[in-house]
Amino acid sequence: MLDQSLLNQSRAGLSEIEAEYIASSLLRICPPVSPQQTNLEVTNLLNEHPDLISVAVIEDNKPIGLITRNIFMEGLAKPFHHDLFDRKSCIAFMDKDPLIVDNNMSIQELSFKVLGSGRKTLNDGFIIIDENGDYLGLGSGEDLVKVVSFLQAEKNRLVTESINYASVIQKSFLRSSREDMSAVLQDYFMHWEPRDKVGGDYYFCKKFDDGFFLALIDCTGHGVPGAFMTLIMASFLDHILVEDNRHDPAGALAIMNKKVKLALGQISQPAAEGFDSDRFSAKRNGQSDDGMDTAFCWVNTQNNTLTYAGAKTPLFYIDSTSSNMQLMEPDRKGVGYVDTPMDYEWTNQELLLDKGMCIYLTTDGLVDQIGGPKKIAFGKKRFSALLQDNYLKPMQEQEVIVMQAYYDYQGKQKRRDDVCLMGFRY
Amino acid sequence: MTDIYIPATSDTPEINFKFSSNTLSMSGEAYPENGVEFFRPILRQLQSHLKSLNGDAVEFNFKLTYFNSVSTKVFYSMFELLNEYAKAHPNSVLLNWHHDEDDDTILELGQDVQEDFTWIDFNAVVLA
Repeated sequence: MLDQSLLNQSRAGLSEIEAEYIASSLLRICPPVSPQQTNLEVTNLLNEHPDLISVAVIEDNKPIGLITRNIFMEGLAKPFHHDLFDRKSCIAFMDKDPLIVDNNMSIQELSFKVLGSGRKTLNDGFIIIDENGDYLGLGSGEDLVKVVSFLQAEKNRLVTESINYASVIQKSFLRSSREDMSAVLQDYFMHWEPRDKVGGDYYFCKKFDDGFFLALIDCTGHGVPGAFMTLIMASFLDHILVEDNRHDPAGALAIMNKKVKLALGQISQPAAEGFDSDRFSAKRNGQSDDGMDTAFCWVNTQNNTLTYAGAKTPLFYIDSTSSNMQLMEPDRKGVGYVDTPMDYEWTNQELLLDKGMCIYLTTDGLVDQIGGPKKIAFGKKRFSALLQDNYLKPMQEQEVIVMQAYYDYQGKQKRRDDVCLMGFRY
Repeated sequence: MTDIYIPATSDTPEINFKFSSNTLSMSGEAYPENGVEFFRPILRQLQSHLKSLNGDAVEFNFKLTYFNSVSTKVFYSMFELLNEYAKAHPNSVLLNWHHDEDDDTILELGQDVQEDFTWIDFNAVVLA
């Protein structure tokens, strides 16, 4: 019988786990018969071993066929068949073409072979031989399904554990931003919700003597590749802010753009003119085209100004007098992508911060989420209206209100993207 | 050029490019994991079809409700091809940009497209 406890002990790596399980993992030692033996002897053997589904027939240790309990018993049950066949060779009811596999065959190859040979092999099993073609024993479809499910679960476990730990790393990368944010802001929230435990959305906050730098970042992709990108961006950003760049978010975006393009080799090839270009050829397949959409903000706490530069990420704000949501429009180029020129210049926009002014930043995962009865995007209008109705409440309450509305809106729709949303009151 | 018909899946749109009558339609959503590979053959066919035309009118019905950033880049390449063709043959390309009346996201994306591809005749259509 398949040794489940042995399976449970396995702690193999993803690639090892495939190699560790082969056809011999399924081997059951079953007594074979020879062609010289009679049907009566096989009947007795099957009666002695009620758990035997099949019996291999071997000649000089080489399998020549498989007798299966059901077919054999049905065959003999017909009128007079006992009298006719009991003393004859057992090959009368034998399947002459059973599946025979080498004991070193991988479980994956074996699965395809078993499925390929039809239902009989799943029901009746297959013969396992050694390197010399000698009979070793039988394998059953049931055991195969067990091992395949186990391998599947084991692979899932390994991938999940790996992503869970990646999530620990990504969160710890966010720690200093969280600490600085809570040091510089009193009434604020930061909602970071990657779609797949880790993701391409990211935030950044760094405190200085004269103010703080704040960024909300949406890197290409989600999941593990998205998370890779956030780590690249975070380390670049950390490096460039050591100088006076913090006062010039647009300039910081331009430096980031150059760094990303150089690091990932994302330099636009000279555009071939007109229709003769080969721009959709598979040759360009290997080139990456990754980057980020982001809002960079410098908040000067001495003269109460916010300088914003946006790469496809707007800044929303409500000033305490008008109570209307207003928008600072971003530039429409992302950072680092192939189609963003190396010398692209983003623009700074200034905002005078009144006491009580509310600032919000969000990645597109929130406004673009499909849902509602019409299955259309959540939208900036809905987002703005929600905040206009609730901006006087404490920021953390606003977070709950917006996210609850968002979850309700999403309903049974699949999450399309990572979500990152933040708000603060000055 | 043979027409292209690809039925929609949960993350790829229905693509119905009738090159024979120069009417191109896309509807649904676009966020495949391998966006570039998925769309590349379609772009190539569109490119070589446009090369074979000489001022024939082309109509493109764009009816998507969601597309991710990779798909956006692909669509921009597609519009770029149409824009180049329309530049060589003015008023030859009509882009019908379908959107729900409440879908400000798609409408805004359409306005960007209109701004960026000036040779294409842009027509925003509110879905009934």
